[in-house]
Amino acid sequence: MLELAIGIMLGLCALGAGCAMIAGIGPGIGEGNAVAKACEAIGRQPESRSAVTTTMLMGCAVAETTGLYALVIAILLIFVAPGRFVDILLAAIK
Amino acid sequence: MVVCVYRATLIIYNAMSMQKIDPTVKKETIYIALFVIVLSMAMEAVFLIIGKWDLYVLFGNLLGGGFAVLNFFLMGLTLQSALKKEPEQAAASMKLSQTYRMFMLFIVAGVGLLVPVFNAVATIIPLFFPRIAIALRPLLDRNKKEEKEGEEEDAGEDDGV
Repeated sequence: MLELAIGIMLGLCALGAGCAMIAGIGPGIGEGNAVAKACEAIGRQPESRSAVTTTMLMGCAVAETTGLYALVIAILLIFVAPGRFVDILLAAIK
Repeated sequence: MVVCVYRATLIIYNAMSMQKIDPTVKKETIYIALFVIVLSMAMEAVFLIIGKWDLYVLFGNLLGGGFAVLNFFLMGLTLQSALKKEPEQAAASMKLSQTYRMFMLFIVAGVGLLVPVFNAVATIIPLFFPRIAIALRPLLDRNKKEEKEGEEEDAGEDDGV
């Protein structure tokens, strides 16, 4: 019974980590769309290249933070949470 | 995993060897690097104050901070090369680059958490420093603008006299 509980817990942690990483898809798509529009803008106004590049860099870095949050949550769920949960479970049984 | 790391390294090597680094990318990377250094020092100070500082914190900080700057630089390089392409190709290359960088980030964060030489908290926190640097940028820009306007006003008064 205990093994089953631990197994379910570990499985749910892994599932949660996988679900969290869905958020990693968004920044990729967003960055791609933003860069595509930046290319069009530079094509129309080549003299604004430097300004567009700066804005794009900052925008991409901000967009990427969302994925970073998801990554941290996923890493915590994979590496940290299972041990804690198992400890709590064992303490509750004792 | 090995294939992904190999391909990421190959892309980085090609990007760095085939193109000259754009001055804008260089400037922004230096700005981010300076901010990461300042915030890292602040973080170390906080660890010292709460009495939890040891060499592992420093190693973790170096790993996290170094990778945060590298990640930003690689994004700049990809952006630089993407801006020369057609919009569809640029979007695709940016998505691919983001995937590889996210994978590298996962490895670095995993190493920071699993290898006992690195403090986990000190490895993860510096990854968010570029975001803080960008959030603080408008404040610095406003100060610079005000300084510029003040100088222009002074110059105008001098001309009038």
